[in-house]
Amino acid sequence: MNRLRWLIQTLVAFGTNAYLLFPFGGSVIYQGPLKAVCHPGLNCYSCPGALLSCPVGAFQNFMGSLRYSVGGIPMSGAVVLGYVGFIGATVGRLTCGWMCPFGFIQDLIHKIPTRKFSLWKPLRWVKYAVLAVLVVAMPIFFVDSSGLGHPWFCKLVCPAGTLEGAIPLLFLKPSLWGTVSFFFWNKLTILILILVAATLISRFFCRVLCPLGAFYSLFSRITLVQLEFVEGNCVECGACVRKCPTGVIPNLELDSRECIMCLRCVDACHFNALDFGMRRPPRKPAEAKRVTSPL
Amino acid sequence: MAKKTFWLFMLFTVLFIMGVNTGELNYLLNMGSTICLACIGVGG
Repeated sequence: MNRLRWLIQTLVAFGTNAYLLFPFGGSVIYQGPLKAVCHPGLNCYSCPGALLSCPVGAFQNFMGSLRYSVGGIPMSGAVVLGYVGFIGATVGRLTCGWMCPFGFIQDLIHKIPTRKFSLWKPLRWVKYAVLAVLVVAMPIFFVDSSGLGHPWFCKLVCPAGTLEGAIPLLFLKPSLWGTVSFFFWNKLTILILILVAATLISRFFCRVLCPLGAFYSLFSRITLVQLEFVEGNCVECGACVRKCPTGVIPNLELDSRECIMCLRCVDACHFNALDFGMRRPPRKPAEAKRVTSPL
Repeated sequence: MAKKTFWLFMLFTVLFIMGVNTGELNYLLNMGSTICLACIGVGG
């Protein structure tokens, strides 16, 4: 299963960043009709290879231009919310585990052999603050003199934007160096810190800062697919806990908001105590015990 | 499918259709076709 996941992560990362004309005199970024579609994961749309838009960047821009309207109807970002909401209600954070290019980068970088650390759990709440403040509130309320808000998460934090957008663009379009300001150096520092943290702590950005992961996690208890725990088969060997990249204890925290459904726990379990499939109505306590995560 | 999930699907479908009908797809297309200086952290 893990090999299949690596294959899908690779295909999605390269398939959705497959615009190859930029080195050959074409436009420096893709400008075709696919840009009207959002990527399900975090993928900067200013990346020279990006074929799709970034849902987080797009939503912030909609929030920033909320004061403007077309034919009396405000641009509320309903199309982005509907799109990511539909994905969230269908598969939730499975998207993070299988389809997010920046998650894939973190999985790769975590393979660097160093001492590994576990995450201080309260930090997991930070991503909800990032979602509420930087993605929703600040673009609406912090506006410039023309009444336009800015995508503050992109501007201040987004490491995917720096890695996939800013750095390649500055090399491809050297004229942009003239516009480099505090924001770029700030984001470059954040990117380096996040990459170092992701080397030491698995999926650091996804667990602590990602607003898209925070949004998808809101659906963790109602998604169409789920991890299933068969209590009778569990011998509490802890193999699943050791494999989990987000620090979930699968036999105690089923439907955890932190679970990215990478299914490494299912692979690790030799007793068939964990399974993955369509969500079914909860079994009676005598058949299976389902304990939900406190988070 | 749980009732809650079904109603969420309906809600998000309606939101998506509403967005398409208010021209948000064109806005998204225009946005994605230009280099976002704020996103890449350059500019003021």
